[in-house]
Amino acid sequence: MVAFRNTDPAGRTTGLLLRCILYSLLALCLIIVDKRYDHLGKIRRVLSVVAYPVQIAVASPFEGWDWFRESVTTRDVLRADKAKLEGELRVAQFRLQRYEALEAESQRLRALRDSTAAVTDRFVIGNIMDLDLDPFRERVLVDKGAQDGVFVGQAVLDSGGVFGQVARVGQLTAEVILLSDATHAIPVQVNRNGLRTVAVGTGDMARLKLPYLPTSADVVAGDLLVTSGLGGGFPAGYPVGTVAEVKRDPAASLAEVNVKPAAALDRSRELMFVWLKAAPATPAAPAAPAAPAAATATPPAPAKAAAPQAHGQ
Amino acid sequence: MMREDRIRRMPMALSALVALALAVLPVPAVLRAFRPDFLVLVVFFWSIESPRAGGLTLAFMAGLALDVIQGVVLGQHALALTLMAAWATHLRLRLRVFSILSQCLTIFALLTGYQFVLFWIDGATGNPVTAFGRWLAPVIGALLWPLLSAILGRVHER
Repeated sequence: MVAFRNTDPAGRTTGLLLRCILYSLLALCLIIVDKRYDHLGKIRRVLSVVAYPVQIAVASPFEGWDWFRESVTTRDVLRADKAKLEGELRVAQFRLQRYEALEAESQRLRALRDSTAAVTDRFVIGNIMDLDLDPFRERVLVDKGAQDGVFVGQAVLDSGGVFGQVARVGQLTAEVILLSDATHAIPVQVNRNGLRTVAVGTGDMARLKLPYLPTSADVVAGDLLVTSGLGGGFPAGYPVGTVAEVKRDPAASLAEVNVKPAAALDRSRELMFVWLKAAPATPAAPAAPAAPAAATATPPAPAKAAAPQAHGQ
Repeated sequence: MMREDRIRRMPMALSALVALALAVLPVPAVLRAFRPDFLVLVVFFWSIESPRAGGLTLAFMAGLALDVIQGVVLGQHALALTLMAAWATHLRLRLRVFSILSQCLTIFALLTGYQFVLFWIDGATGNPVTAFGRWLAPVIGALLWPLLSAILGRVHER
């Protein structure tokens, strides 16, 4: 009680110590509660709304400048852009022609093999806000949040491939952790032969690595890596990157494999948030003999995918 | 009395807001590691210059704002800033009579302490950042201190 009275202008030192301890304890409690339990989501969401004006204020001059530059581009540039985009669209449409049929076929075949993967359901496009977050973590802030239905762990793609996943959701914004963050890992598969492994970020936007492949693994430079869909977080079959180099040291038991990400991690401005459609459940009874084999072949499937959903879509 | 308080708090809040904006201002990727902790320096300045105007409350709030805006564990910057601002307040009478060089060195120590607390909490919460670059910010911040304290001093005088 005495200490409390001393916070008044008269005696400052005691007050300082007391307030320091109080605030520190409060901060420590926040850290522990935020880390251990998930109760602070709501508070954080509210706080993120408070921070939004600052973020907008910082980002808008740069966006304004971009807008200005765009609006003064010449007719020639626009025409060249249009021609280029039309060309790209033509190629994309050409490639798409058989996509629907192939996807249906692939689903049927997978259903036969009792390994239906989750497929993407819908997309929402978000824009990256022009802000630097922590310089030592690869994260970006996107202008879509809880009110758009974005959730933690959601897969995020850009036009090139997998970009990352949602790490934190605010009411109006979401933080996306990039594939290249040193704490991020994504289950992948070599497209050529189906070899499964995990791609881990390095903290360098131009490089991922595959740290868990033995020296004898069948992987060569130029191999395309796609998401395997295991773990349930990411949709299967989206490009993650291409193998840039494979170093095999005969003395080491693991190969050193570097991967160049497929997504333009340092350049993309627009990202797609993906919602997965729950995999159509397979008939339970005849699956019994296949189950042990599946269990040895794949890591434990997520509960979400195995949920007893209705047959069909 | 009330009136005086309000006048004193306005530049404090404004400078903190500007520093917060500077903390997330986009810069080219190569320069990112060199960004000094502006908000921390501003909080130190007000803790030294007018601790009675609520230095520690400012420190806690500013830390919380940094936590939210940078998206780290809630309370991390708040804890580090509170501890270091309290230390700065404790040293304030000595700091005022120090030469510029000793002031810079003291600020360097405070900033390093701040980074260390962040580093420790990063490690304790399971996502350590071991990049050497994070220890650059205190050096840049200490070098920036004379300039920043001169500018803020001007603001304070008005």
